[in-house]
Formats: sequence, C-alpha cells, structure tokens
Amino acid sequence: MIEIKDLIYQYEKDSTNYIFNRFSLILKKGSFTTLVGPIGSGKSTLIKILLGLIKVNGYIKIGDFVLCSKNVKQIRTQIGVVFEDPDQVFVAETVMDEIAFALENQNKSKKEIWNKVDDIATCLGIKHLLECDPHTLSEGEKRLVSLASALVIEPQILILDEALSMLDEISKRKIFRILKDCNQKGVTILNATHDLNESLYGNEILLLQNGKIILQGTKEEVLKQESKIKKAGLELPFLADLSIRLMYYGVLDHIILDMNEMVDAIWK
Amino acid sequence: MEIKYDSVYYSYRENTALEKLVLEDINLDIKENKINGIVGKSGSGKTTFLELLNILLLPTLGTIKIGDYQIEKKCKIININNLRVELGYVFGNPKHQFFLSTVKEEIAFGMKQFSYKLDQIEKRISDALNLVGLDDSYLEKDPKKLSSGEMRKVAIASVLAFNPKILIFDEPTVGLDSISEKSFLKMLKMLKNKYHKTIIIVTHDMNMIHKIADYLFVFHEGKKVLEGTKYEVFNHELLEQYEIVRPAIMEFSHQVLKKKGIKLGYRDDVNDLIKDIYRHVS
Repeated sequence: MIEIKDLIYQYEKDSTNYIFNRFSLILKKGSFTTLVGPIGSGKSTLIKILLGLIKVNGYIKIGDFVLCSKNVKQIRTQIGVVFEDPDQVFVAETVMDEIAFALENQNKSKKEIWNKVDDIATCLGIKHLLECDPHTLSEGEKRLVSLASALVIEPQILILDEALSMLDEISKRKIFRILKDCNQKGVTILNATHDLNESLYGNEILLLQNGKIILQGTKEEVLKQESKIKKAGLELPFLADLSIRLMYYGVLDHIILDMNEMVDAIWK
Repeated sequence: MEIKYDSVYYSYRENTALEKLVLEDINLDIKENKINGIVGKSGSGKTTFLELLNILLLPTLGTIKIGDYQIEKKCKIININNLRVELGYVFGNPKHQFFLSTVKEEIAFGMKQFSYKLDQIEKRISDALNLVGLDDSYLEKDPKKLSSGEMRKVAIASVLAFNPKILIFDEPTVGLDSISEKSFLKMLKMLKNKYHKTIIIVTHDMNMIHKIADYLFVFHEGKKVLEGTKYEVFNHELLEQYEIVRPAIMEFSHQVLKKKGIKLGYRDDVNDLIKDIYRHVS
C-alpha cells in the first residue's frame, strides 16, 4: 500500500546533513501502524513527504500510484489526514461546511455532499454539532470534526500526525474505537506520535530515530525490545514494562497488553 | 502566599439569554509550597478556574483570596501588577506565549512589565535560563525555532525571571517526549524543594500528574467534586463517574482487587509493584 525506496532528504539544501539517507519502508494494505519516535526523529517530515508537500529524491508508491508532481492531487484524494492542531486547519464557519469542504473540491453534487456529510457525522456521533463554529468546540469535538473531514472522502489511507496528544484518556479511547472500526473496514492507518501508549490501540509499530527505522513489527514483537526503545528516549507502556519484568521472574512467558488478560494470567 | 476560593461561581454571558454557568460553588485552598494538580476532562471548568486565578476574569459570585488581595465581582484591584508579579503563568503551548525574536528579549519582556531596572534584567535573564538547564548560548536564538522541550524551558525561564511565588502551568507536558517530560518534572521538584514555590498544574494527563503531584483537585461539570492526596483521589470509588481514568499502575492494582480480591500496595513505581506481585503469586 505504501512503499518507499531509497528516499534521500536533507532539511537544508546543499547540506550533507541528511534526515533520510537511502530510507526504505513498506506498509501493508489494511495495517494499523503506530509511527513512534522522539521529537526530531523525522515523523512529521515523513508524513509531509507522503502527502507530497516536500519534494524529495527517491521512489514512493502509494496505492497504485508512484508519487510525482503530476499525480500528487490524485494521490491526496486517497489519503485522509488529521493534524495536531485542528484550529490551524479549519477553514469554514460551520462544522457542516468544514466536513463538506474536501468534497466540494471534488465537484460532487450538493445532494451527494449532504448525504455523505450526514452519514459521517452520524457515524462519529457529531450530528448535533453540524451548525456550530468548529473553533468553539472542545478539543475532543475538534478532533472528531477533523476526523470526519478526513474520512468523508472515503480514503484508502488515514494518517494522524500527533493528532490525539491534547486529548484526555476517555476522548482518546472513543476516537481509537472509531479508528479500529475504519481499519476493520479496510482503511490503512498510520498514527504518528511520541507516546508509545497509543501503540496499544494499533497492530504494528514503526520506531523511527534520526530518520532511521530502529524497529518494525507487531506491537508484541516491538515492545519486547526494551533497551532499543529506552535508547530512543521513549517510555514503555505500563503493561509492556510489567510483562517484561514478570517474564524475567518467570511469572509470565509472553508479553500481555490487555489489563484483564494480565490479571488472569498472573493469578490463574 | 494563600490562595483560597470561597463559594466561587462563574457564568459566561451573564444576564443574557445565552448565560452559561461554568463554575459552581468552588471552595478550595491551594496548598502552599506543594505541587497542586487540577484535573478533569475537557469542559470540566479547569480553564475557567485558571482564568479566574490569573484575574483575566472576575467571579460572578464569591471571593478569591490571593495573599492580601480579595478578588470579587466588580472589585477594583489597586496595583494589580504587584499581584500579577507573584503569579507566574506558563501557557500550555509555548508558541502562544512567544512574540519576540530572541530568547533574551522574550525573557526580558515580563521583567520590563514589572519595572525591573536594566542592569537587574541582564543578570536575571542569564540566571533564569541557567535555572531551567539552558546555557547563555541560547540568548540570541529565535525561541520559535527551538525544539518543543527547549521552548517549554524558555517559557518557564521568562516567568521565573521575575521570581513569582506561585507558578501556574496549563497542560505543561502535551507534546513533550518522555526524556523532555522527565527533565521537566525534575525541574518542578527542584523549584518546589529548593525555591519553595507553590506550583499549580492543570492537566488531563493522569500518568504525569501521578508522578509529581502532592495534592489533587478533581473538577467535573463545573464543580470541584473531589480533593485529597493522589492516593486518596485515585483510590476513590466514584472516580469513574467523574470520567477520570486512573494512571495505568493504579488501575492495575484496582483491577487486581476487583477481580481477585487481592490488595496490593498502591505503588508509584513498577519495581515496587513487581515485589508485591511476586509475594502474592509465590
């Protein structure tokens, strides 16, 4: 679904200080990957590259298209994005117009647009907000509006860039339930964050540090690699940390990332 | 310096059809020389609480006592700068606080507002920067081009420079990775222990506040519904009702008690928890 080969990019032109130097990556169709790494590891830059916002050297294939200036527009219709600060992205005065914005640019009829906006607002439980000014909503509601705007175009890929860091745990869980549903319907999800706890809601983890892939695999495989994770300056989620220590003491024989399952496994 | 909320109410758009009560009958005493956490989900009234504390809003009803000052509806505060200089407010997003082109100018700005003399300002800029763990090489840098962790430190330095007794932080660790968060929490402990600051942190991050707070106030739907030490608050049976998710380590002990009837000690650290588990398993 996403394939990058031999990507080369430096922040400053003519510099030899490369953030990506012959960087390669494959993300499978239908995966739910958490892209983690400390601040400055290259996560946001990688996302900008995938969206065609930064010109780079290298081969990038998204879906059926190889990324180049000619088909950037076409590729973007396949990718929904939710950024960190929704206020900077909102363009319309009502939630309804905000969600409809991406569709209006696709030359769809008014009736078709309204039906799609209505469907997605119902699905995300924000129909009661359609007449509101998006800037006046709570942080959780703003993320739901951004998510609705990203999903209304029925993307094959959904990318989140530190989109959930401002949210309390309850609002976060609500959004992850929606993401899981989308993923089960076939949407490929890439969630970039510095908080490894968010990886518990996905399936795979990609750990990036200084523009290099340090670890990639299922969350159970990656979270076992305590020393590499700590070396990258990240903190293990509590359950992964506890599992590793209990494995050391022989209480567990594998990593467990679910609280109930963990309690039952310790006291069989 | 005492901070006391006495039957404080606040309504937006008072006496209009759109009047909305956002804080209701708030009574609380901020603990001096301690780290006070104000927690609650979005929309619980935390931000209005802060705006009242910073005198950006005045209460609709009730009194807020800050040191010798009584803040009430329609009160006129004489020499408000004498009060503001004691309340160091660090914005949630440091980018919202910065508007000058160098770190030096940014740190000097607050002091100039409080009429510090120029020769004092030079020395204090350097001291404040060093206090947050940055050296003088940062003085001429553009604050908006620093990393998130460094930006946060400059924002704190610009408040520390005028030496307020109270430090107020709004969602201070959002956007920080684990290394920057650790260094920030270490600095808070130092400010409390060595410089005897009273610290107030407004946050929704229970894992962070659990590591640092001495005392917690829980807000829910505009009311202060709970207060106590973190052990008292996070063990409270009504916590779920207030839509607060316990820090993972405390949630684990809570689940063990609920499912297996085994009471583990409430621990801050996984190493201690492991010993408890090992004892109960073997």
